[in-house]
Amino acid sequence: MTDGTAVELENVSVRKSERVLLDRINLRISNNEFVGIIGPNGAGKTSLLNVIAGFEKFNGRLRLFGRPETWSRGRRTRMRLGYVPQLFDIDPAFPILAKEAVMTGACGRAGLLRSPGKPEQEKTLALMEMMRVSHLAHRPLGYLSGGELQKISLARAILQRPEVLLLDEPTANLDIAVQKEVLDLIGELYERESVTILFVTHDFNLLPDAMERAVLLNHGKIVFDGNVDDALSGSMLSRLFEYPLETFVRAGRRFVSFG
Amino acid sequence: MPVQRALLACVLCGLSCSLLSVFIVLLRMPLMGVAMSHAAFAGAVLGMLAGAHPTLAGFVSCLIVAGILGPFSDRARLTPENALGILFSFLMGTAFLGLGILTRTKAGVLSLMWGNLMSITGRDLVLLSAVTAVLALFIVLFFKEIRAVLFHRRFAASCGVPERLIYYGLLFMVGAVVALNLSTVGGLLIFALLMQPGATALQLTYNLKLFFIISTLSGTGACVSGLLVSFYFDLPSGASVVLMATAIFIVACIVSPKRRAVKQGKQYAQKSG
Repeated sequence: MTDGTAVELENVSVRKSERVLLDRINLRISNNEFVGIIGPNGAGKTSLLNVIAGFEKFNGRLRLFGRPETWSRGRRTRMRLGYVPQLFDIDPAFPILAKEAVMTGACGRAGLLRSPGKPEQEKTLALMEMMRVSHLAHRPLGYLSGGELQKISLARAILQRPEVLLLDEPTANLDIAVQKEVLDLIGELYERESVTILFVTHDFNLLPDAMERAVLLNHGKIVFDGNVDDALSGSMLSRLFEYPLETFVRAGRRFVSFG
Repeated sequence: MPVQRALLACVLCGLSCSLLSVFIVLLRMPLMGVAMSHAAFAGAVLGMLAGAHPTLAGFVSCLIVAGILGPFSDRARLTPENALGILFSFLMGTAFLGLGILTRTKAGVLSLMWGNLMSITGRDLVLLSAVTAVLALFIVLFFKEIRAVLFHRRFAASCGVPERLIYYGLLFMVGAVVALNLSTVGGLLIFALLMQPGATALQLTYNLKLFFIISTLSGTGACVSGLLVSFYFDLPSGASVVLMATAIFIVACIVSPKRRAVKQGKQYAQKSG
């Protein structure tokens, strides 16, 4: 990667009809950073992630790994970006097993007309082991619970060996125990795989411990970019959500509550 | 021999349509078959108006619609079903407008709706065989990419699979198969064969390779058995094939091991989730 910068946005805007989803965003993310993209609903968090992932057209300049990129991009760049969405729907009758779903993450790297080899198969099993879903390998994907599906989705993205992992509210719609388990796994991945992580969320009470930097978005603009502790101050959050909020610390962790 | 040619055409139609049926069912695009049939129909009518060969004009029309559908749904931010619905209405309007203007050769155009198996030529068979072979080759060569796209288009794109190429390639294949089969088996039968075999396989397996095989066997089986029933009992061939396909689907639903498994799976998910 060039000069240690994984992602760089310069005056990036996204408009749909008359609505401005992102308004002249400037952001620079270094290699191996763990950055939270935080904001209320409709703040532009997912649009920002979609611009980086190549799912959204935009105006402005985007550089990935030191190279300028447009909305449409090649296989090599895509392979370097892993993507995990919110809980996704799958037809229970859909013909795919959990292990096969993870293996789809290796499709791009294997290239056309070549099947993923034994190393990818071993890595698949190792990742499923790490995600504590190896016992589900031969189970149809439609059988799995929401938490299990998210772990499969994470394993699939990691099998791709990405340099940047884009997580779009990966714990949304999961119960609190499973949320904690998925967050711990994300922290473990960050330690083991030396990957840059962009983590989109609107839930301050469930931020991974490893997250160092927070970017607060509102109405398509960055309103704060800095340390997580500074971002989670009562006055900052009240301004962001336009609602009185306060924070308190318990057992070394910061929590947000109504003011 | 016209009967042998009809049988062979029916087998090729069953093969090609039931292979495509896997995509139509798993991508949840049931309108695709009917929209493409109308694209071919509208193309044929416009071709006749312009003095061109109706099959060729229908083929070109299908390819144009297949080429438009992907970018149209992507750019207009419509779901493929909605994009298909809009295109379908437009094509139906165009076809019936052309039909209203045409005063002499309506019978020739209407045969595209019902087909005419007995009028199949050796050239038609060669074309059908070629398209079926290309489709089968496409599936074998790009199986892992196809699985990734069917599972989740965005996941496939994010891991470097040429998702648009595969998706648009499939749309073109649907266009080519529908247009070539239109004058032989007719638009209505094609629609049934683009849905029923895939829906049958969906009842029976979680293995995608087996899914293609079951779909192909049920589609081809429906074609051959339907044609034989129509031959021996002097019934309309298209209707017989559709009814046989429906009967196979109903049997698959009754014996489906997946229905039981899905129930157990839901219980499992509730316990472990």
